[in-house]
Amino acid sequence: MICIRGLSFKFQDSAAYALKDVHLEIEPGDFVVITGPSGCGKSTLALALGGYLFRQYAGEASGEVKVGGLSTRQAEIFDVAEIVGLVQQNPEAQLCTLTVADEVAFGLENRRLPKSTIQERSEWALEIVGALHLFDRALATLSGGEKQKIAIAAMMAAKPQVLIFDEPTSNLDPTATGEIFKVIQHIREKAGITVIVIEHKLGYLRPFQPRVVRMEQGRIVSDGRDLPRYSPSESVPAPSKRSTPMSNNGRAVRTEHLTVEYGDSPVLNDLSIDLHTGEFVAVMGDNGSGKTTLLRCLMGLLKPRAGEVVVLGHDTGKTPVSSLARDIGFIFQNPDHQLFAETVWEEAVFAPRNLGLLNEGTSQRVGSLLRRCGLQRYRDTHPHRLSYGEKRRLNLASILSYEPRLILLDEILIGQDSENATMVMDLLREQTLRGSTVVNVTHDPETTFRYSDRVVFLKDGRILLDVATGEALDRLATLGLVDYLPHGRSEELLSR
Amino acid sequence: MSAKPKIVYQPRASWLHGLHPLVKLCWLAGLSISLFVIRGPLWVLTVLLVAVAFFPLAALSLRRDVRGIRFLATMGVLLFSLQAVFNHTGSPILDANLGPVNLLVTDGGVAAGIYVGGRFLSLVLMSYLFVLSTDPSSLAYALMRIGLPYRYGFVLITALRMAPIFEIEGNTVYQAQLTRGVKYDVRTPRKFVTLARQLILPLLVSALRKVDELAVSMEGRCFGKYSTRTYRRTPGYTGSDILALVLLGAGIIVVVWSVLSPH
Repeated sequence: MICIRGLSFKFQDSAAYALKDVHLEIEPGDFVVITGPSGCGKSTLALALGGYLFRQYAGEASGEVKVGGLSTRQAEIFDVAEIVGLVQQNPEAQLCTLTVADEVAFGLENRRLPKSTIQERSEWALEIVGALHLFDRALATLSGGEKQKIAIAAMMAAKPQVLIFDEPTSNLDPTATGEIFKVIQHIREKAGITVIVIEHKLGYLRPFQPRVVRMEQGRIVSDGRDLPRYSPSESVPAPSKRSTPMSNNGRAVRTEHLTVEYGDSPVLNDLSIDLHTGEFVAVMGDNGSGKTTLLRCLMGLLKPRAGEVVVLGHDTGKTPVSSLARDIGFIFQNPDHQLFAETVWEEAVFAPRNLGLLNEGTSQRVGSLLRRCGLQRYRDTHPHRLSYGEKRRLNLASILSYEPRLILLDEILIGQDSENATMVMDLLREQTLRGSTVVNVTHDPETTFRYSDRVVFLKDGRILLDVATGEALDRLATLGLVDYLPHGRSEELLSR
Repeated sequence: MSAKPKIVYQPRASWLHGLHPLVKLCWLAGLSISLFVIRGPLWVLTVLLVAVAFFPLAALSLRRDVRGIRFLATMGVLLFSLQAVFNHTGSPILDANLGPVNLLVTDGGVAAGIYVGGRFLSLVLMSYLFVLSTDPSSLAYALMRIGLPYRYGFVLITALRMAPIFEIEGNTVYQAQLTRGVKYDVRTPRKFVTLARQLILPLLVSALRKVDELAVSMEGRCFGKYSTRTYRRTPGYTGSDILALVLLGAGIIVVVWSVLSPH
């Protein structure tokens, strides 16, 4: 079905090859997972398989890519699209109409199929992803997981022979992630097509026994049936034991009866919580449960409709954000929204400079942070030229540079491979040992249970669970929140 | 906190909402032109009253759904008052001595006030009615069905899809800057340029990335493969649409006849 021979590709203005001498053969009906560190060339390979790489991106290409006997370097995109469907990472950016029915019909209408066929294929595709009940809904009213299901259905409607998923769950919570992987498996069983999944979350894929292709620096370095064992997802040490309980420390954050509404919909509902100095707190919950809203309230970016938020002695409802910025570091979800400078170095010193904290000590600290984050060699590179994972690490370096007393993180681990995820979490752990409080909104159960002192689980804007990490595994299992348990532990815990 | 009302489609189960978008567009165009073609303040007032009356009939609220209604109403009254007080054409209908000021209001001034203020409010409220009661994607699909090249139609649809996303992103970038200690105290042109660049660059990068992803998604579904395409949606015209079109046609005939008639 797929035959890649000696494929190399270098983007224009880039010194390194994104793909280097790639050889790969995939049989019809295979289930292949492509994994590897961020920036290793996985997504570039997906674009090459769809033919987009050679049409939409300037660069040097050599070698051959054939899909269903068609050379994607030579053929028209539209001809390749009859064989290959590509589901991308961000559902928001790949949906181009306003309703579910229009979105799924879009590709069929473009192919000039008759109305009866469009209707029949749309319903088939929605059914196969378990979203037929959404047929009449507006896209704006759907959750992230539902949007991704519609993006999959929109590709499936054309009945491709190969379906490629490029990190389809990176923006989704564990519940939605589990559902998407079930959909992928269902597609394999029902449609019998070749499925290629580019993914970091390998634990979810173990039950499917896929073929695993690992890439590093643009090359394929391994190809087999074994999922890597070194990933932190495969081993969950007991949560760290502190000599003194965190509650003995001073209070860093206090919210009392916090209520926040968007329009008429409550997002946080009567939420009261205390966080202590030096505590490493994981905030978990499904998309839309209020996690990001809580962070924004702590930073003073959202003013509550009712209740009070006191952070490091400041009432954030009454204190300007500019006054809180010195003591609070906030990393938003999308790295592109928080890169403002011309070089990596300038970005890392951006906040200290604005806050009047740039001195020799800060510069030394920034240099050390860039080294630990693997960014030192990019010191003079434009931040927007970095890979997604590298940008996230730069975001982290830029707030740790001024050592804020409260660190608010929104999905810092998206796009990080296991080694970099460990490095990021180690850095944050060190901050808590120096007295900073870390509030980490996360969908990653593995790191949560390795690093956090405490787990706060939100549901519909309320606290469902607030316990020490040691108790969290059992409590989550009892509540049936199995998607939030580390892989390999869920069955054990549920059987107790 | 509460969200401010936006000038966007408000789905309701009303007769006006159920009308075909093109029928509503024809009515909007017809009534707008009539405000300038038909002479006489009575017609302007009639259109204004009809526009106001249609809000509750379309299950819409002037206060809740029309952004800046107080400002618009104030503007309308101000435009009327300026003409009524300072335009002294025609016969006096009020001549009052208010100490140092003599207030003279004429029938010509009142008529001019109704023309200016009434037309302004009528056009704004009718446009609001159209936007609030018309699903924009239905309008785009309807325009494509009557000959608008589908590439242009989808420019409108994707813009409608992306606009709220960019609005949210703009706000996020601004907030991210505040958290990094950026102060929006513009004291020099250089500082203004720096702030503008720091705000626009992340948005531009994000927009370009989305355009790339959207292009892959659309081309991967054969957008642009043929010069024409088929449609899932059926352009159905109901009895109400026919009736509305007949009434509009009759109105146009009457207006054209009255304008062209020598008497």
